[in-house]
Amino acid sequence: MLAIINARVYTGTGQVLPEAAILASEGRIVAVGPEVRIPPEAAVIDARGNPVTPGLVEAHGHVGLANEGVGAEGDDVNERIDPVTPHARALDGIHARDRGFEDFLQGGITTVQVKPGSANIFGGSMTAVKTRRLPTVDAMVVRENTGMKAALGENPKRAHGAEKDRAPYTRMGSAAIMREWLFRAGEYRRKREAGEKGADYDARLDALQPVVRGKVPLRIHCHRADDMLTAVRIAEEFDIPYTLEHASQGFKIAEYLAHRGVSCAVGPSMSREAKVELEGVGFETAVAFARHGVPYCLTTDHPVIRALYLHMIAGIASASGVGDAGALAAVTLSAARHIGIDDRVGSLEEGKDADLVLWSGDPLDGRSRALSVIVDGEIAYEES
Amino acid sequence: MRAYIGARIYPVDAPPFDDGVMLVDDGHIQEVGADVRVPDGVETVDLSGRVVIPGMVDAHSHAGMWGDGEGDASRDGNERPGPIAADVDAVDSVNPHHRSFASCREGGVTSVMIHPGSGNAIGGLCFAAKTRGEIVDDMVIRAPTGLKGALGENPKRGSGKDSPKTRMGTAALIRDYFARAAEYGRKKDADKDPDPDAGFENALRVLRGEIPFRVHAHRADDIVTATRLCEALDIRYNIEHCTDGYLLAEFLGHRELTAHVGPGLSSRGKVEVANRDERNAALLHAAGVRVCLVTDHPFLDVRYLMAYGGVAHKHGLPFDATLRALTLTPAESIGIADRVGSLAKGKDADFLVLAGEPFRYRSPILSTFVEGEEVYTRQQP
Repeated sequence: MLAIINARVYTGTGQVLPEAAILASEGRIVAVGPEVRIPPEAAVIDARGNPVTPGLVEAHGHVGLANEGVGAEGDDVNERIDPVTPHARALDGIHARDRGFEDFLQGGITTVQVKPGSANIFGGSMTAVKTRRLPTVDAMVVRENTGMKAALGENPKRAHGAEKDRAPYTRMGSAAIMREWLFRAGEYRRKREAGEKGADYDARLDALQPVVRGKVPLRIHCHRADDMLTAVRIAEEFDIPYTLEHASQGFKIAEYLAHRGVSCAVGPSMSREAKVELEGVGFETAVAFARHGVPYCLTTDHPVIRALYLHMIAGIASASGVGDAGALAAVTLSAARHIGIDDRVGSLEEGKDADLVLWSGDPLDGRSRALSVIVDGEIAYEES
Repeated sequence: MRAYIGARIYPVDAPPFDDGVMLVDDGHIQEVGADVRVPDGVETVDLSGRVVIPGMVDAHSHAGMWGDGEGDASRDGNERPGPIAADVDAVDSVNPHHRSFASCREGGVTSVMIHPGSGNAIGGLCFAAKTRGEIVDDMVIRAPTGLKGALGENPKRGSGKDSPKTRMGTAALIRDYFARAAEYGRKKDADKDPDPDAGFENALRVLRGEIPFRVHAHRADDIVTATRLCEALDIRYNIEHCTDGYLLAEFLGHRELTAHVGPGLSSRGKVEVANRDERNAALLHAAGVRVCLVTDHPFLDVRYLMAYGGVAHKHGLPFDATLRALTLTPAESIGIADRVGSLAKGKDADFLVLAGEPFRYRSPILSTFVEGEEVYTRQQP
């Protein structure tokens, strides 16, 4: 049992409890509030009035796949052999000892959805893991297969296209490949279910089944507004669940997206405009989404921007016009909803995982430091 | 003349004061202080509740020459596959209409030193410019302000047939080039009329002490190689990036070196930056190294230079040192401190109005002034 007392508790559901305690047992939160009875056997952390937030949630990262400071040997982000590799699983590439995980704990992030990269039209399935360092990645998993990575725009063209002399060369080529494989996956399902011939096991079509059956979303990398519209167009044609990843030019089509209620993982907002499709990247999209009611979360795309700075990004978003409550939600509960694991993480509520962060000051001030990070009721990081 | 009154002012070369007055005329600071009298009839701008600091000076930028959503068409930072491009001048690659300059003004950067890239062992001339203007020659504060050199991974990646394949190869190329430039100089001095060579002319400027050699080095051994090369040549130099500097802080502190530390807020993308540590600037400063915080724009978007300052401060760089590392120290390193880097009588009226104390993400830059002209105004969210 672990208790945090004398804390200013941000529950992640919009409430701030000025003087409260949190009690955790067997990895779960058993009580939150101003009058929690602390059993004598509980280990106690005195917050001394400092803020406690839910562990932050990063909905879009490549930690463990993009091993840092290692060079080509540690680059396991994109299976570039072919633009269609849905059968690749991020879980099989995550190096649990990648030093990038240190950034997550130091930045107060306790859960991350690890995704394959965006070189391929279908890049592979993703997984949500805790950032607590355990010997095996399997022990860190919150939920395996939380979505299928897909990509539109510049990256698939660059990874394949003219350089490899194979499709896609163009944006319309990328869309055609996406449609072709979603159609084939639907046919595969129909034939398999009907016991028809001509539907022998196919790893790639098999891997797309959770998407065409509506079990997991297609998570589509798109920066430029027209790429976002293509993503919406295709997902609606096939009537599959989907999310938009990056959504850098979302500020141009916020109202359109609001009508559809599609969840967007926005970021990395502090990114430089390294590519043409990043024109206009900044905090305008988060502000526009907040204003128009588009569900969104903020991400670092670690290691593109180091996860260490996620709370600073939330602070800048707040000052840019999102407001404190919205900015905090965008890195906690909204991110958990985006991943589909808000039953487990993202807020401090009874029954949820005991993932929380004790900060040295205002969590949305980049100068604040995570003093203690607790994952599954265990102290995973303490500032030295 | 215009009088800015009421703000808390950080002049940087003097202690801060509240309810300050700054008189600006013809692009220059006429007076700045707490007890300055505003002459009758002068237009006043009330900045009560605001904070004023000097316009920031970014000592390592590629503004105007690449990135920012323009793709390959404007990639003008690294000339030829390599390995030596001592003859080129960054002035000739810079497009004043490139959106990066608007980003500089939004980010509170009013002066930049623009470098060629680090793809070549010797990359060309750097220069200093204001971030406002239509004609690059009119934006120049001083040119040239250094010759770019590079060690480590980048020059090895060059695709030229003569590009170095190893770190010792890169060092050998640089040694050889300066030796031949010195030979060229001796011939000129002896009126032997060597064939004109623009690269050697630029290297001679370094050998004669007119401009420093500005050496890109991330890894500790590369930094040490830079000191070895430059001290053998007895030339002025500084370290660009200096990512592993904290591992050698005492070694560098003894030399009273200047380190252009950055790009901040970036990841460990290359092997040579595997030891990146947020405490670097703080530990270098503590050891006596002169620290500038730089963006290497576009590698850290210049709009986040102030945020980078906040991170360096959070990780131990004292407040005054952080402010100086973004203003006066880079101005000194570039050689333009007579005009910019602090708020003092006679200097250019380059300053920022902040909503509150620097390095708080809740007190953004409200406006940026270059030579008395407001060149950026924050839109209300």
